[in-house]
Amino acid sequence: MEGTQVTRIPGGAIPAVDEVDLTPVRTYWQLVRQRFVRHRLAVIAFFLMAILVTAAIAIPLLSGDAWKETSLERINQPASLTAPLGYDSLGINTFARLMKGLQTSLFIGFAAVLVIVFIGVTVGSTAGYFGGWVDNALMRVVDIVLSIPTFFLILMLVAFWGTGNVWVIIIAIGLTGWTTAARLVRAEFLSLREADFVQAAKALGAGDRRVVMRHMIPSAMAPVVVAATLGIADSVVVEAALSFLGFGITPPEASLGNMLTKAQDYFYRNPLLAWYPGITLVLVVLAASFLGDGLRDALDPRQRVETN
Amino acid sequence: MTQRPTRTGELLSIDGLKTHFYTQDGVVKAVDGVSFGIRNGETLGVVGESGCGKSITALSVMRLIERPGRIVAGSIRLADRDLLALSDEEMRDVRGNAISMIFQEPMTSLNPVYPCGDQIAEAISLHEGIHRREAGDRAIEMLSQVGIPDAKRRAREYPHQLSGGMRQRVMIAMALSTNPELLIADEPTTALDVTIQAQILELMKALRERNRMAIMLITHDLGVIAEMADDVVVMYSGKVVESSDVNTVFEQPHHPYTKGLLASIPRLGEKRHRLEVIQGVVPNPLNLPKGCLFKRRCPSAMPVCDTPPPLQEIQPGHLSRCWLTPAGEPPEIGADAEAETAVAAAAALTVEA
Repeated sequence: MEGTQVTRIPGGAIPAVDEVDLTPVRTYWQLVRQRFVRHRLAVIAFFLMAILVTAAIAIPLLSGDAWKETSLERINQPASLTAPLGYDSLGINTFARLMKGLQTSLFIGFAAVLVIVFIGVTVGSTAGYFGGWVDNALMRVVDIVLSIPTFFLILMLVAFWGTGNVWVIIIAIGLTGWTTAARLVRAEFLSLREADFVQAAKALGAGDRRVVMRHMIPSAMAPVVVAATLGIADSVVVEAALSFLGFGITPPEASLGNMLTKAQDYFYRNPLLAWYPGITLVLVVLAASFLGDGLRDALDPRQRVETN
Repeated sequence: MTQRPTRTGELLSIDGLKTHFYTQDGVVKAVDGVSFGIRNGETLGVVGESGCGKSITALSVMRLIERPGRIVAGSIRLADRDLLALSDEEMRDVRGNAISMIFQEPMTSLNPVYPCGDQIAEAISLHEGIHRREAGDRAIEMLSQVGIPDAKRRAREYPHQLSGGMRQRVMIAMALSTNPELLIADEPTTALDVTIQAQILELMKALRERNRMAIMLITHDLGVIAEMADDVVVMYSGKVVESSDVNTVFEQPHHPYTKGLLASIPRLGEKRHRLEVIQGVVPNPLNLPKGCLFKRRCPSAMPVCDTPPPLQEIQPGHLSRCWLTPAGEPPEIGADAEAETAVAAAAALTVEA
């Protein structure tokens, strides 16, 4: 066997490999981080999202009830140290209210996405794994849900179940938004089902549940993560639209949407009142989109990091 | 079909196995009446071209045939258990425990999202229900047993960080982690370089001795067979066409297909301008020829080949599905015998393997 490098390890008859590979061992998360960091816009988006989330949690906590305290004396007062964005027509601290609104919007965004991912992954993986009539039936349900104009369905659900209730809005967005995730997961599953490692897992004696949960879902998650981060942006926008129309969060509760609604009454006198929630909304949407993009590249374990 | 008498000490016995695929274009008889057995500690080589039913036979043993395929007839017994009669749950316990399988593509047979060590540990904990950390230690031990240096570190690596040979070693470690009685190796070296192939075969031989397990080695590489196998089964279009011990198959092949396969291997030091090849291609499984499935490509084809040939015993333990007599002459009934005579003659000559 010329050219074969078979060395024997002492004490055993098992020939060992004689390969020299100096690649340092990196864990999965180290690899993910390295790939993510290469994506500059995603890193910026990550920090932006971190700032937005931190601010949305911390500032309402620190400023207490400032986001809903009206005062006749402070009506339309200009910016100051305690109110960086001034006061609105009711004398409410605009910055405090903006942060409270951001909190509500982000909460709805994240929670709705959790609902979307849960329903989407469950439906998509069931359809893709079992195939046949199960797949057919579930995908027709997806088609039906897709054929309904989503926004009007949400409006209807919210109108029936209770306007202004955060949970109703979350459920309504969740129930109508899971179709994309379901389709993505199904498509991944259809190809994963044929993957050699799935066959290998079955050959090792793994049951359906184990194969799906442990071997297929993790590999199918990359597109779902992307869809989910984009879904945050979508949900925030839907919430804003609902509130703008008066079906979402109603004052005195704050949301980016109802701040926009109110701002239109004073559009000529104080157009900045519309700019603040508008820009915040744009920032949330952009941050979520770029974050999703960066995560897609980073989470794919098949991509290697070039060693510099 | 009469029951094949079980040879003593047979670990796996396959009898008249038929696995058919019900496609929109018709029924594909991927495996059509295959019978063979593997004794304890024996290595059986299953040879044949792509599409001859080797892998489907293996997957049938594992009961991993997916729609539209179905095992329609036959029996598969492992020691005293009828595998086809087991419940799904019982079968899951057989897979990876009593029978393990390694696949052709080490590149894609490992899950890309888990470190190698975790995957071996999963195989162990699936069947032995031991604690994760303990399974992890066993996994590292298995990795060093298959000759992976610095196993502790390698266990934390992901499949894409390993070379093909290393990955196949990981697959072997995974398959052997539960001490199976039977290892099914489906073209374990096909995707590897020649030098790595030699390493992997060495490794499998060494582990076979150590664990005293039986191996069903599926390959189209006769070199691998010569190196590893005790007995050989040659398959063609879903049927066994010749079976015997490895020396007989290499030195006195009977079936023209086996002869063709052997003639198509280049030999060192022999001056030949062109390599001999078997003319033609494997028949379309949806449109199989009448009679002998090999007749269109067979250099010794004769009119009687329109009648399905008998599976004759050429000499004790050596079977061949061909009309030629053991001496290689046309059958006594004549090369152009009437169909009825031929059917009767085939029935008389056929032995149940």
